[in-house]
Amino acid sequence: MVIRTGTGGIDVRASIWGLVAVMITLVGVYFGSGSLRWFDAALAGYLIGVLLAVWATVYRYLVWIQRPPTAVLNRRGWESFRSKGKVGRNVGGLVGLVFTNILAQGFIRRRSVARWAAHQLVFWGCILAAAVTFPLTFGWLHFESVGQSGDQYKAYLFGIGTVAFPAESLIGFVMFHTLNIAAFLVIGGVLVFLYRRLRDPGALAVERATDFLPLVGLFAVSITGLFLTASSLWLEGRYYSFLTDLHALTVILGLLYIPFGKLFHIFQRPANLGVHYYRRAGAEGEQQLCRVCEQPWASKMQVDDLKFVLPQVGFDYSDGSGGNWQDTCPRCRRTSIALAQTNRVGGFG
Amino acid sequence: MAKLPVTEEELIEKYGPHLNVAPPGGWNAGLDIDREVKTHCCFCGQQCGIKLKVKDEQVVGFEPWYEFPFNQGKLCPKGVKRYLQGAHPDRLLDPLERDPSAEGGFKVTTWDSALDRVVAEIRRIQAEYGNDSFAILSGVSITNEKSYLMGKFARLGVQTANLDYNGRLCMVSAGVANKKALGMDRAPNPWSDIPLADVVFVAGSNVAECSPITTSYIWRARDRGAKLIVADPRVTPLARTADVFLGLKPGTDSALMGTILHVLIENDWLDHDFINAHTVDFDSAAEAVRTYTPEWGSQVCGVPKERIIEAARLWGTSATGMLLHARGIEHHTKGVENVLSCINLGLATGKYGKPGCGVSTITGQGNGQGGREQGHKCDQLPGNRDIANPEHREYIASVWGCDESEIPGKGMSAQEIMDAINDGEIKGLLSICFNPVVSLPDSNHTAEALSRLEFYTAIDFFMSESAQFCDVVLPGTLQEEDEGTTTSVEGRAIKINQAIAPPGNARKDWEIIIDIAERLGRGKYFQFDDTEDIFNEMRVASRGGTADYYGMTWDRIEDEFGIFWPCPEEGHPGTPRLYEGGRFAHSDGKARFHGVAYRDPAEVIDDEYPIWLTTGRVVSQYLSGTQTRRIGPLVEQYPEPLCEMHPRLAAQLGVESGDIVNVSSRRGSMSLPARVVESIRPDTVFIPYHWPGAQAANQLTNRALDPLSKIPEYKVSAVRVEKGDGHRKIYDRRVTTLQEKGQSL
Amino acid sequence: MNPLVQGKMFVIDQSRCIGCEACVQACEECGTHRGQSLIHLEFVDRGVSTQTAPMVCMHCEDPTCANVCPADAIKQNEDGVVQSALKPRCIGCSNCVNACPFGVPKYFALPDQMMKCDMCYDRTSVGLAPMCASVCPSQALWYGTPMDYNETRRGELIHEYRFGNQVVPTKVATVVDDRTFGPIDVMGEPGRDRWQDDPFGLEEMT
Ligand code: SF4
Ligand code: SF4
Ligand code: SF4
Repeated sequence: MVIRTGTGGIDVRASIWGLVAVMITLVGVYFGSGSLRWFDAALAGYLIGVLLAVWATVYRYLVWIQRPPTAVLNRRGWESFRSKGKVGRNVGGLVGLVFTNILAQGFIRRRSVARWAAHQLVFWGCILAAAVTFPLTFGWLHFESVGQSGDQYKAYLFGIGTVAFPAESLIGFVMFHTLNIAAFLVIGGVLVFLYRRLRDPGALAVERATDFLPLVGLFAVSITGLFLTASSLWLEGRYYSFLTDLHALTVILGLLYIPFGKLFHIFQRPANLGVHYYRRAGAEGEQQLCRVCEQPWASKMQVDDLKFVLPQVGFDYSDGSGGNWQDTCPRCRRTSIALAQTNRVGGFG
Repeated sequence: MAKLPVTEEELIEKYGPHLNVAPPGGWNAGLDIDREVKTHCCFCGQQCGIKLKVKDEQVVGFEPWYEFPFNQGKLCPKGVKRYLQGAHPDRLLDPLERDPSAEGGFKVTTWDSALDRVVAEIRRIQAEYGNDSFAILSGVSITNEKSYLMGKFARLGVQTANLDYNGRLCMVSAGVANKKALGMDRAPNPWSDIPLADVVFVAGSNVAECSPITTSYIWRARDRGAKLIVADPRVTPLARTADVFLGLKPGTDSALMGTILHVLIENDWLDHDFINAHTVDFDSAAEAVRTYTPEWGSQVCGVPKERIIEAARLWGTSATGMLLHARGIEHHTKGVENVLSCINLGLATGKYGKPGCGVSTITGQGNGQGGREQGHKCDQLPGNRDIANPEHREYIASVWGCDESEIPGKGMSAQEIMDAINDGEIKGLLSICFNPVVSLPDSNHTAEALSRLEFYTAIDFFMSESAQFCDVVLPGTLQEEDEGTTTSVEGRAIKINQAIAPPGNARKDWEIIIDIAERLGRGKYFQFDDTEDIFNEMRVASRGGTADYYGMTWDRIEDEFGIFWPCPEEGHPGTPRLYEGGRFAHSDGKARFHGVAYRDPAEVIDDEYPIWLTTGRVVSQYLSGTQTRRIGPLVEQYPEPLCEMHPRLAAQLGVESGDIVNVSSRRGSMSLPARVVESIRPDTVFIPYHWPGAQAANQLTNRALDPLSKIPEYKVSAVRVEKGDGHRKIYDRRVTTLQEKGQSL
Repeated sequence: MNPLVQGKMFVIDQSRCIGCEACVQACEECGTHRGQSLIHLEFVDRGVSTQTAPMVCMHCEDPTCANVCPADAIKQNEDGVVQSALKPRCIGCSNCVNACPFGVPKYFALPDQMMKCDMCYDRTSVGLAPMCASVCPSQALWYGTPMDYNETRRGELIHEYRFGNQVVPTKVATVVDDRTFGPIDVMGEPGRDRWQDDPFGLEEMT
């Protein structure tokens, strides 16, 4: 791999920001759990996993966002978003964009419906699971039994009582089995992914062993979680403590994998929103004319940005007399190359 | 009465051409398949090896067949996308009977009633007007077995003399000339000779588009240092890279070749030993070109004389050389003479019977070479035998188990049959693998003729523009739905393997034919259980003929990646290169020079029709387009005919690229967008011919025939070009970027 | 197995192209991107000549495309093949499309992603030739071992292009008569007089 990451060694600033994020999380946990009153010590292992993941994710994110092309895009994305007279429109559009691109993921559906369905299953499964486990782990959410008979439960968020419901009711069922439902969603999605991948030699060729890791991880987390439920429901709690440890282990490993592996795209993908504004601003702004055919072919802003970024990553496409290869449209790049090559072969013509 | 049953629009609505754009199940269907079938491409005479992927009894894709020696995996776009002709919405699945009240003008019927009707009509017409009033038109995109069967079926089944085939529109001029000069009608060389040539002379062949794989052979020669000469009125994609380009006027080929011969003689770039030992009549050839000086040739052909001299020098002074020609010099009233003038160049310089030497036609149609040998030409019997030769007739009668007198004599050629239909001399027609409305010249005349038929039936897999005129349409087979052999451009017999069964109620062509023969009461001559049976009778019938297949078996053909005929006995290795050691196929072993004097084409430009028109093909379409106009990605490549013209002519007419121009000749006129390009002579326009109706270039072309080969003069007509109304966006760049296929990835 | 292990290489010789589009048609049959053709092919200027320009990814040693990708979506394999954008990562910004000196990556609006030639990784990684080079009738696109090349083809292989000040070394080779003249200088290569400038000798004839 020769992809430059911009810096070598540890990025001190990024690690400090990572620590700051860890601190913020801890403060949140402390106050959200009523000074740890509702914090469940049994979940401490999970908390440590989360804190490590927070540090590493923030670190990786900052390193990433500082790479020259990412930094420029980041700046431009916000600039375009805030550009004069467009803020209202842009904010308005944001809701739609978040919905179609982040939540509904239409761009994946247009590639393949099966892939989209799988991705949606995993996506919503994870959201659901996170929505329950993070507050539980942080002590932000807990349940208390209310009433005399003990078959009434009440959910407390940040120590504030919310709904009360009978354990046997539908809502009770859903409440207690949220994680199982999430696990089923995720497993379903993972299986579709695996099936597609194994059946498609094309996908198989370009993917590597590491691409299967997140699928294996998601599967492990979900299945061990389901084992827990199975143990308490049907096996009278046999193997329960072993399964608890196993599940905890998979979850913690999974959390730690996020910042390093394929799942990091969860944090990168939202940059696509910035791209939308950047693209729109580009289309509305001045266009770059091709130095060969003199036709407009791209946003001048983007081409200028590239001419700014390229030297930072070690490229110089200028010709020393004011021209720059980067001003050529892709089509003329290809035809110029063919002509230049043809000029270097004689024997005919 | 065989007029169109309903309007053209209604026919198109129901029967297409519609476009098949993706494999069955879509692009996402996954790539796991049931099997791969080794077979060949159906879309030109090169018959490239290809593996078809089959899943759920449908052809879903292809894989290069690297081991097949001819093309080693290479394919042109037609080969790549040929699989999309399968699982096609337009595929005919049932016998159809003309019924103007039915949707699309045809109603579904049963095989029994359809064939009974066909047989009853054959009987009625023959009883009323005589046996020869029922004609048969066959084609050469079908296998050797079917070609053989069609010949036998016409002669013994229907008992008509009037059988011909659309190879008549292909390389017959070369066939006649080769026979006259060399004694045998076959390309003299395996293609592996091309890379051994020191000079390659391509005359009247748009190799890059019409026989694309040959390009790689030519480049292999050039990689060894060979020079390339190209003679063509257009700078074709291969011509662009030529060392010497001779951009001659349409119809002046024999003047060019004559001038080159003149220069060869003048400079004594001749192989006297070869001429003395292996040829006769050199003097008459020399005499004919005595006055054909470079100045004269330059004048007649419109080519700078230095280039002609340089071409002659390269050809005359190179130790080895191959001259490749195709329809560009053959589609003429002088087709035979043009080819003879090329052969003269080969003989004069001793370029025959040695590695890297030969003058060879590039056959165009799928089985253009093999089809013409198996006896479905009006003047031939199997094995390239002459139907007028008593001995040949006697032999074939003995194979067929009939009396010699039962075999009819020589019939009319394809265009003559159409003319006779128009004149009312022929009343009934059965066609297979032939779409005359699109492919014959003067298409208005063809349509008129077809509508005069009392009965017309066609075996077809799609509703071709000609089938639309039918009373009964019989759904036959695509190439991948049956097995058999074809013989490629090199004279190499190869095996076509069946990938899938015919869909619906479609039947194998040969079964349909045999069924008809049985119903005609002639079944005893058609006792075949399978295609291999037909092959085995065919090879016996070819035995002792020039095109001798006797030593071949299907197994051998497959094992040996094809066998070159002649292969006269079992164990014979086949004959890749003909005329080794200068032994030609005439009884004295010598080749004949022919004196070729230049004469004008049938039609020359004048004040009224001042521009030359020449026609041809594009790489993405095959012949009349019945198949390729139904394959989306191929249509996308070149969606409609364009009229190529030089900027000088365009400027005179005030026309820019995309402007509609009206092109008219003495026979018809058409409107189409202009494509203004410097790659064509200023006095000539070019229109590709694959489209029907108002888009048919053949509305303009001339029915004049070569007196010997009976090939029509597609390549030269006089036209008038005027600026028309409107403008169409034409794509001067390939539209391969940003083609959004939405759902698919 | 990978192409390096087998010692096979990809060679592009644009000058031979006959514009037949077999490569374009075959590209979309490739398993890694079925239904999308990623190779480029265009007329240089159809009004003037029939010359066409095919272009595959040159698999730069240090890929400009990957360097300008803000999302780290373009990866280079150990064997030097530069992969198409990783689908989960690519954010569709088109930086690579605009910056690639060879004009290779394609942006597809509906999936909002870039895709580019990956040398048919499903094929080359198991020893098969890429689709385009398999079918190319002129062998303008060629795949094989250096030994094969030297035995059967003329011209010398070169792995470098120059664009202004930038020299770009590539894994894919191209062909020149004499490599001692250095990289193919795309911005500076002088034209030559050829018969193609006046194919019909109109100047001479009048
Ligand atoms: S059309 Fe001819 S050249 Fe093209 S793939 Fe078929 S046989 Fe080969
Ligand atoms: S040719 Fe373009 S797309 Fe290919 S590796 Fe180089 S920069 Fe990237
Ligand atoms: S297949 Fe080869 S010759 Fe045909 S267009 Fe592509 S590169 Fe050119």
